[in-house]
Amino acid sequence: MSGVLKGRTRGFLIRLAGLFRKGRQERELAEEFESHFRMHVEENLRRAMSASEAQREARLKFGGIDSAKERMREGSTIMTLETTWQDLRYAIRGMRGNPGFAVTAILSMALGIGASVAIFTLADNLLLRPLPYGEPGQLTMVWEVNPHHKGSNGTNRNVVSPANYLDWKAQNTVFESIAVFGDGRAAFADGARVEELEEQYMSADLLPMLGVRPWRGRLFTAAEDLPNAPDVVLISYRLWQSWFGGDDGVVGRKVQLRSRPATIIGVMPPGFYFRNRNTDLWETEGLDPARDYRKTAGRFLMSVARLKHGVTRDQAQTQMTAIARRLETDYPRFDTNWTVNVESLRESLVSEVKTSMLVLLGAVGLLLAVACANVANLLLARYTSRRREMAVRVAIGAGRGRVVRQLITESVTLGLAGGVLGVLLARWAVMGLLALAPVDLSRNISVAVDYRIVLFAVAVSVLTGVIFGLAPSFVAVRADLTRGLREDSRGSVGGSGHLRAGLVAAEVALCVMLLAGAGLLFRSLIGLQSVDPGLNPSRVLTFSVLIPGERYREPVQRTQFFSRALEQIENLPGVELASAVSFLPFNGMSAGTDLAIAGRPPAKPGEELVATIRTVMPGYFRTMEIPLKRGRVFTAADNTLDSPYRFVVNQEFARKYMAGEEPVGQQISVAMDSKNPLGEIIGVVGNVKEGALDQEPAPTVYYIHAHLIYTGMVFVVRAKNDPLSLADPVRRVIHGIDPAQPVAQIRTMDSIVRETFARQRFSALLLGGFSLVSLLLAAVGIYGVLAYSVTERTREIGVRVALGAEPGRILGLVLGSGMRTVLAGAVAGMGGALALTGLLKSLLFGVKAHDAATFAAAPVVLIAVALLAAYLPARRAARLAPVDALRTD
Amino acid sequence: MDKKQDVWQGTLALMALKTLEAMGPLHGYGIARRIEQISGDRLMLNYGTLYPALLKLEQEGYIAAEWGVSENHRKAKFYKLTRAGHAQLRKETRQWEAAADIIARFFAPEDSL
Repeated sequence: MSGVLKGRTRGFLIRLAGLFRKGRQERELAEEFESHFRMHVEENLRRAMSASEAQREARLKFGGIDSAKERMREGSTIMTLETTWQDLRYAIRGMRGNPGFAVTAILSMALGIGASVAIFTLADNLLLRPLPYGEPGQLTMVWEVNPHHKGSNGTNRNVVSPANYLDWKAQNTVFESIAVFGDGRAAFADGARVEELEEQYMSADLLPMLGVRPWRGRLFTAAEDLPNAPDVVLISYRLWQSWFGGDDGVVGRKVQLRSRPATIIGVMPPGFYFRNRNTDLWETEGLDPARDYRKTAGRFLMSVARLKHGVTRDQAQTQMTAIARRLETDYPRFDTNWTVNVESLRESLVSEVKTSMLVLLGAVGLLLAVACANVANLLLARYTSRRREMAVRVAIGAGRGRVVRQLITESVTLGLAGGVLGVLLARWAVMGLLALAPVDLSRNISVAVDYRIVLFAVAVSVLTGVIFGLAPSFVAVRADLTRGLREDSRGSVGGSGHLRAGLVAAEVALCVMLLAGAGLLFRSLIGLQSVDPGLNPSRVLTFSVLIPGERYREPVQRTQFFSRALEQIENLPGVELASAVSFLPFNGMSAGTDLAIAGRPPAKPGEELVATIRTVMPGYFRTMEIPLKRGRVFTAADNTLDSPYRFVVNQEFARKYMAGEEPVGQQISVAMDSKNPLGEIIGVVGNVKEGALDQEPAPTVYYIHAHLIYTGMVFVVRAKNDPLSLADPVRRVIHGIDPAQPVAQIRTMDSIVRETFARQRFSALLLGGFSLVSLLLAAVGIYGVLAYSVTERTREIGVRVALGAEPGRILGLVLGSGMRTVLAGAVAGMGGALALTGLLKSLLFGVKAHDAATFAAAPVVLIAVALLAAYLPARRAARLAPVDALRTD
Repeated sequence: MDKKQDVWQGTLALMALKTLEAMGPLHGYGIARRIEQISGDRLMLNYGTLYPALLKLEQEGYIAAEWGVSENHRKAKFYKLTRAGHAQLRKETRQWEAAADIIARFFAPEDSL
């Protein structure tokens, strides 16, 4: 027994050694055969055979030296590697010999794999990868919720009041800690240079809660998070590198923040961000625990909390709801109808884009399936034309396993080549996608295509290679090989023909599904683009200017700054009109508050009249081309501190709050400031869509700047020609007034409006791209199947023509056989599309998920393309001369 | 040319082992000739099948190979039985005898069944 074991080990070692001495073993084998052959010949000669007879007999006895060698090779494990290498070289040689096939197959794979890797990269970043914080699963966002308010994000979630936050913090037992933060912009200067940067202000406990440690210096202390603490700031790694050249002495450096002195206390680690990748500065919020925020402020903070260990999100929700109910009783004026929502941090980051991502993942899966079906089809077609070669290989001594292995090697080689190309494509695609992507998607994502993604791609390509290499292999092994030898191009298509038709039908079905989805999204996009935004965004340049309150202490100075700037801008050549507004429509946040109408009883708590508030400089409505419906708009005379309070409202305000009454001349009071005297409504202007085009306009009240002074205003400049050509002139105007004043966010109004439907455009473009590619692949598939069937039926067609069939009939015959497959696929695809497009519902605007026009158009487009693809082989068949056709063998 | 019998693969290995036991180290051609001679030239040995059988025996450790010089001064690979080979031969001989015995009983005169 031990001898046997020893023998086994020895055998294995021999094989293993053989792996490294491959050449020698092959040589020895040849030598051994050679000596055997010689001995045999010598003996034959001794038996008085003639020299040639002796050789002939010896050769016969060997029964095929090559077959013997082949069997010996099969017998040893080391040979597997050797034969794989051989197969690989053979596969590559085969591809070079048939570049059309190889290029089509590799491109199909590359497109399928590239698209799926690109989308998977995005999805992985957004949906799968853990957030870069300590124990991110425990982190939650805490929102205030009011069922009567619907925010621009389409949910009832609202930002948080500091007062409620402080009470939550004092009363809850479910959170380890709870912090607040907000995003803003601030002018950052070091004496030599000034720039407006994105900043985040936060309570001191937020960064430790995330588990982040500073790269240099330290984080905030609790004492620095008090109202009158000296200003300290943390800077991003990026800013440290770009502004300070990575200087270690940056900690402790004095800078100017909003024209106030501040000290840099630390640098955050590279790549650190919290909900906004563009943040360069972090400051403390400095809430005052003694102040009654319910009297003096609204809701403006975001809140994030870390669950205690063992506490679930549901338990936290239950307790927070109870706390909110208590606050509702204690502060009915402020908290009636307000409750709390605890949402996981990840959910809050992805909920907006999750649907798009899932739809895209599904779509890319369909595309990959089409690509695979196409490659399988090509391989089958190629096999059909190589049946004879396979039969010959088997006949001269190749085992069947060997043939299957070779076919799989070929398809895996194709798969890998496609995979490599696909990963390259994906790299470009991801960059392209991010350029197209909506801001809320791109600011939370990194572009890295990392090793896991490459692994994914390799796995996908090998898998598709193996699966679709197997399909023709089965056909190959099942097929009777002697028949393969005997029969020639006339050979029956048999099983492989049905399999290929089935694959084409599947491609068509998947393609119809993609086309239907893309059609719906494009119709939504067109719908969105034709929505009247309520203003004319073309040729309008916008930029924001935030003047430091420290330098412009007096209210009159502030209004004067903007008046002077506007006056000079209007005098620039190429400028038609110019004005400024506190918050641009379509650009995220805006202010909102309660109001009262003179002569009406005060509203009950929870039923307040709410309006969006904008403060404007004179000429705003004319510059933006917002139509005046009644009364008049603000003039320069209204823009003085001592003028009476006057308001302009929009039509939605008039419809909602003054139904049936004449709004002009009514007195209203808007709770925006500490004193809110009644003021007269002097005009009604058209509605402007708020937030996004697919949402209803909100009631809006416009102030003139002098009565609601903002230090940060967004300039709007209507150009005579290209608005961006004014960027430099306006910057010079602002610097001419104050050289230390930064100008930020220079953009056109067009791009801002377009950004609001970026999400829909993103999905529509991608799905459109996918369906075009799949259409192309399906066309290649149809063409391939018909071209081969025409080749195979050449003789039959020749007979038909010889018997008097018109070319038209032959054309119809071939087209008809192709179209049966296409129609079957199209019907199946319609069924699939009807079942799946429901998932798109939340991405659609102005079009139903089962829109009849789209569902009619998708198969029509596909059938048109299919006809085109089928026409080429059909025409070739129709033009066959019967004599040639009959002679083909 | 009279009809000769083909050799089954399984018995070929046994024959090769037995030949090596009887003759000592021998090259492939010698083994082949010996098998044919023993059978009284009734067996037709395809040399192409002999070498895979020898390789298999070598890999299983029953025989070992070595290059040497043949009686005609030709370089040849000589095979010899290993200890495991001897054991295997004894085992297979027993199995073969048992199998042959069973088959023989089937073909014995009816009354002895």
